[in-house]
Amino acid sequence: MIDADRLSKVYARGVYAIRDLSLKIDKGEFVFLTGPSGAGKTTFLRLLLREELQTEGRLMVHGRELASMSSGEVQTYRRSLGFVFQDFKLIPGKRVFENVSFVPRVLGVTVEQQRRRAFQVLKWVGLQHRMSAYPHELSGGEQQRIAIARALVNEPSLVLADEPTGNLDPDLSLEIMNLFREINARGTTVVVATHDRELIRRVGRRAIALAHGSLTEAV
Amino acid sequence: MLRALTYSIQEAWESLGRSRLSGLVSVMTITVALLILGAFLVVTSNLQQLLAAWQSAAEISVYVADTISPEQRAALDDLLAGSRAVASHEFVSKSQALARFRAQFADLAPVAATFPHNPFPASFDVRLRQEARQAQTVDSLAASLRKMAGVSDVRYDRVWLERLLLTLAALQAMGWVLAGIVVVGAALTVSNVVRLTCYARRHELEIMRLVGAPMAYVRGPFVMEGALQGGAGALVALLVLWSGFAFIRGRYGEMALMALGIPELRFLPVQLCIGLVVGGMAVGCAGGLVASLGTEAGEGLVSAAPVAEAQATH
Repeated sequence: MIDADRLSKVYARGVYAIRDLSLKIDKGEFVFLTGPSGAGKTTFLRLLLREELQTEGRLMVHGRELASMSSGEVQTYRRSLGFVFQDFKLIPGKRVFENVSFVPRVLGVTVEQQRRRAFQVLKWVGLQHRMSAYPHELSGGEQQRIAIARALVNEPSLVLADEPTGNLDPDLSLEIMNLFREINARGTTVVVATHDRELIRRVGRRAIALAHGSLTEAV
Repeated sequence: MLRALTYSIQEAWESLGRSRLSGLVSVMTITVALLILGAFLVVTSNLQQLLAAWQSAAEISVYVADTISPEQRAALDDLLAGSRAVASHEFVSKSQALARFRAQFADLAPVAATFPHNPFPASFDVRLRQEARQAQTVDSLAASLRKMAGVSDVRYDRVWLERLLLTLAALQAMGWVLAGIVVVGAALTVSNVVRLTCYARRHELEIMRLVGAPMAYVRGPFVMEGALQGGAGALVALLVLWSGFAFIRGRYGEMALMALGIPELRFLPVQLCIGLVVGGMAVGCAGGLVASLGTEAGEGLVSAAPVAEAQATH
């Protein structure tokens, strides 16, 4: 599913964010990327989102080299992804239901389908009763569940999450992780970047540890 | 495609509702730009009408002396009848000239009655053939007429008509240049206003980019917003122009028609009005498109964290 081969990303002034990283993540896997701040977790996710291009090496997803994709292919590729961020990235001026149905809406899905899919995922994360609320009216845990619902509404084959529990307390963090486990149980590949070792231990899935942009250990 | 269009119209409409003041500024600048252009077009099209009327009217007036003999008048008549440059000619006697004056300037008729004798000279009104209106042909005819016995004066309209035409062309060119400058300014204003919308919608744009939304959905609302602002500006400009035109026509129309001798004062033709609206929308579209070009790059939208992370490792 994901195949990184001797991947490096160098920023200005020769600063390495990722250095000579090689790893494989199989289809249907649930993997943690862990390491301290500056380890390269977010950079790796940005490379997977095709937000940035590597400086050296090769990164393949679904058997396609991301760097060689045209802008049209990048659009198509991104439609197969779901993403969740630490700061939720919900649209403040839109209600919960609109936030979730926004994704199928801008992908040209029919209004009926938009509504059906949005309701389904909201029900799945258990927040169908808050669909008329605005993001600022929700707790942090609820906002993150809405962000997860939005990530799932397009039925992605790969879900990427960057510190999804960074703003949540331990109990809520575990609740969010349970949602990711359920997503994974349906066959979706899940990659979660987190520095929370305790959470990784409690969830009990494979963890890839990075430090200074390089692989240090794979659990 | 239809869904993208519907989406763009909905979003543009909502955005205009949200940013009323800045949207109004855009609409006003386009209104001013098209008002200038429209006013120039109205004035110059009526002047063109006037010049066309003058051009088709008598172009050479040959005034004859009161003492002209019948033979001299017959010779003049023969010369005009034999000239290939002349389409038609007509003798206007002194009494006909006086009658013409009384008919054209009815207000001054009592003054004319006080004249001790008829001061108007007899003349030949000469119309030229369209194909014979080159300067040389008409000049040589005028020179021949001046040499004829019994001719007191030859008035020839071409020179000042050409000057008027040149002035009109210059006036039109000035209108286009001035409108062009203001239109560019209007497009820049629209662009900046739409850029504000881009900023206000940055969260949506970020999500759209990350989910791989087609460009029609990303840029469409901004282009549509510009088009709506441009169209609204053009409609307001036409409305203001029409109101001004109707006011002037109502107040000074008859006087102008009488003084200028044209059949009617005309507003812009429908095609040109449609052209102005389409032009306004195009200017707005261009502004919106320029503003939306920045949405493609979207640098720093996800997070600046990786750079900070990388620098932390160093």
